[in-house]
Amino acid sequence: MEAFLGGLAILIDPYVMLMVLLGTVLGIFVGALPGISGSTTIALLLPMTIAMGPIPAICFLGAIYCAANFGGSITAIMVNAPGDPSASATALEGYKMAEKGQAGLALGMSAISSAIGGIFSIVVLIFAAPLLARAAYSFGPPEYFALALFGLSMCAAIGGDSAVKNLIAAALGLLIATVGMDLTTGIERFAFGIYELSDGIGFVPVLIGLFAVGEMLDQAVRRLGKAEIIHLDAARVPGWAEFRKCNRSIWIGSGIGTFIGALPALGATTAALIGYNETRRWSKHKHEFGKGSIEGVAGPEAANNAAVGGSMVPTLALGIPGSATTAIILAALIVQGVRPGPHLFNEQPTLLYAVFASMLAANLFYLVMGLSMAKLFARISLIPPAILWPAVFVLSIIGAYGPNQSMGDVYVMLAAGVVGFLFRRTGFSPAPLIMGLVLGGMVEETLKQSLIIFGDDVTGFLGRPIALVLFVVTLAGLLWPAVARLLRVARARSASA
Amino acid sequence: MVTHAGVGGGTDITARMMMVQAPGVFRQEFTVVNRTAGSGAQALQYLASKPADGHTIILVTQTHLLTQLRNPNLPQFADLIPVARATADPQLVLVRRDSPFRTPADLVNAGKERSLRFGGTHVGGVDHVTIFAFGRAAGIQRPTLVPFRGGGEIVINLVGGNIDTAVVNPGEAEAQLRAGELRPLISLADTRLAAFRDVPTAKELGIDVTGYTLRGFCVLKGTPEDRVTRLERGLIEAMSGPIYKSYLENTGQAPDSVAGREAWGAQLAQFNRDGREALQALGLLRG
Amino acid sequence: MREARNPNPAIAASIAAVAAIAFAGTFWFDPVPPGLPGLGAADFPRLICLVLFGLAALLALTQGQAPSEDDAPRLDGGAWAVFGACALFVPALEILGIWGAIPLYLVIVGRIWGGVSVVTLGLNAAGLTLALWLVFSKIFRLTLPTGWLGAALGG
Repeated sequence: MEAFLGGLAILIDPYVMLMVLLGTVLGIFVGALPGISGSTTIALLLPMTIAMGPIPAICFLGAIYCAANFGGSITAIMVNAPGDPSASATALEGYKMAEKGQAGLALGMSAISSAIGGIFSIVVLIFAAPLLARAAYSFGPPEYFALALFGLSMCAAIGGDSAVKNLIAAALGLLIATVGMDLTTGIERFAFGIYELSDGIGFVPVLIGLFAVGEMLDQAVRRLGKAEIIHLDAARVPGWAEFRKCNRSIWIGSGIGTFIGALPALGATTAALIGYNETRRWSKHKHEFGKGSIEGVAGPEAANNAAVGGSMVPTLALGIPGSATTAIILAALIVQGVRPGPHLFNEQPTLLYAVFASMLAANLFYLVMGLSMAKLFARISLIPPAILWPAVFVLSIIGAYGPNQSMGDVYVMLAAGVVGFLFRRTGFSPAPLIMGLVLGGMVEETLKQSLIIFGDDVTGFLGRPIALVLFVVTLAGLLWPAVARLLRVARARSASA
Repeated sequence: MVTHAGVGGGTDITARMMMVQAPGVFRQEFTVVNRTAGSGAQALQYLASKPADGHTIILVTQTHLLTQLRNPNLPQFADLIPVARATADPQLVLVRRDSPFRTPADLVNAGKERSLRFGGTHVGGVDHVTIFAFGRAAGIQRPTLVPFRGGGEIVINLVGGNIDTAVVNPGEAEAQLRAGELRPLISLADTRLAAFRDVPTAKELGIDVTGYTLRGFCVLKGTPEDRVTRLERGLIEAMSGPIYKSYLENTGQAPDSVAGREAWGAQLAQFNRDGREALQALGLLRG
Repeated sequence: MREARNPNPAIAASIAAVAAIAFAGTFWFDPVPPGLPGLGAADFPRLICLVLFGLAALLALTQGQAPSEDDAPRLDGGAWAVFGACALFVPALEILGIWGAIPLYLVIVGRIWGGVSVVTLGLNAAGLTLALWLVFSKIFRLTLPTGWLGAALGG
């Protein structure tokens, strides 16, 4: 506790405070821009922060990390262009809300739920990190396989206008995930000797294409001269009533996000997608989903920001980064002299609590900024479409090219844009395709790894209790609607008899 | 400066850390060009598309050598001039705390009876070559590679008991080594490591194999000799600066990582030979 | 007027075509090296292709509704012009470089889109290009394609 107060005391230093503020603003900005993510920014700024001294540097980078995850939702909501892959689930409902003229509501709810999710996960991190970290060791390939199946099992229910179409989209996503070098055989698949394809098809260009370019092409067909009818409440921010409605979604999202974030192999994007599924499953307003549900914004936003705190669990307590993003954070911390591991909590409490304190502060900062600027951001919808959509296209090109500096990614992005456009016109939804793409690689890889570990013996799964429980939960989730219907029919019959 | 790593990978960070002080030494601006595709293939192509004047430097890892071996139409190892080594991270053979393998001999004996499950990166990757070379030098059955996405996952699965053993850089498993959750059995360095005085090297045990994660700089063949010499001296000077030194130290890499073209070239040539043999034996070499 | 026909068979046919091409593609994979345990490289993609076939058949059998004019408006000349401009962006990138292609694209597409004067479009294109250049090239120092023109200018 003393150390924690010490950590908070660090924040009183105006220089450190300034760094956190600067990091938050920068984080929101780069998070909102497709093409530069929080992790890219941290990697680029890392050499510069060395001169700052460990504590301001850690605070600065921690703030960027937290705020960037929130920033991604701004462009996702306003122009359907997720600034960060983890915001793609937010785009599903958030952009629909903006189209209905509720951009302010969506942005405000995103800020609130992001901050709650973020703070929840940091509190968990402070009190339970060493404990949660042990759980990471219990998750091997068989367990991840079961978890990925659980995530995929909801595909049929989310998105487009029929279950068959959703499953087709998911299968296409799975197929795209198989492109590139196969981890367990070293064979290149569907690469046709093109180097750009041998590393697989990246999420970022597919997401940008599917959402932003697909939407842009669709808008190009409509070519509305003026901005759509501006509803008077476009700039209205959420009040107590909205918060109460989303309360449950936020907590579901926070819990799921923290847990999934804490698993080293899974990150914020998976957390947001599963958060979206579960929010929908437990919602009392299921019919609103797909048409601009505010709960559908709150759940995944809480989840992807909770995953930030969650992913710091294995990073700090085990020294094992779960994703590319945390790998960079880890490198940044190590360069500053933080030695992650179980000892960190005893040996370097000041540095550790500086990390916590700066993340907490960043969450509060962007909450305030997000709420106060939601009205301002909401005015993006007042920009004439002839200026807005061409700009979105240009940003998409830079966004696809930027991370890997590869023209191949630009072509993939454009192709995904055409697919996204066709999807829109034929009643398909991009949501299941993304789930297939994100989880598909994992399903195949972990299945193959499991088989190697079990010596090609499928019954090996029976010896893994965690995996078995997950299989049962998945099956129950799939069968429950059918069972419920049978029960209803039976009850109606007995009532009429 | 061209690297095959995406912005923010370990290799990318190495390049950027080096570059903090390089402009001062060369009185010239440096930019990092990331060409990620094809496990270094695109980076090599980019290098080949530029004139051999020493203005384009490639950050080479063992991955490039394997990619070259598997794609004969790319610039080959013989087309590169090694300039300077940036990092040489030795690898350790690790087992978990309660593993039945108490000594190196336990491991080798068990390996003669059944195929051991080694964790590593993808099939045909750098780890695979090292594991293959280790298996052959130790005279054990061909090890089963359980491929994972990266060092972190390997460490987790090693602690979790999903694999028998793995070949890992000490830095990747630092927390687990300090907590005693993993035990080092054999070191694959040339000589005993300062941090692991009690761990015998493979060579001492009569297993003729070494394993390092190498990163360093190369230029295209045909670069004038005086420029190569100037680059070598300049890069070594830049990497002897305090910022790069503290980066090496903080990431648990040996401070003697930085080396000139001779040591670096010899090491690359050695790995090139090992890699060719391993890929051939594994049936992964095309044509 | 659009006739109210069932679009599902056409969609199903194109999905089946994608699956067929992918399925055929799996036979061009390099052979899996002998002695590796576990599933091969082609098994999983083939399974997905078969599932896709099944789903496409299911879709073809279900009665669908043609999308309304509101969901899928007819493609007119302007729409095709915008698509063309987007497709031409990449070659423009190779020749003019990104900082030449962006303002050009913004003005041309804005013009096709209509509703905004050329002066506004020009000012916006210049301003946005400058802002992007500052952020990406100057502050974050990402190397973006400079194209043939950029190379000729020594960029």
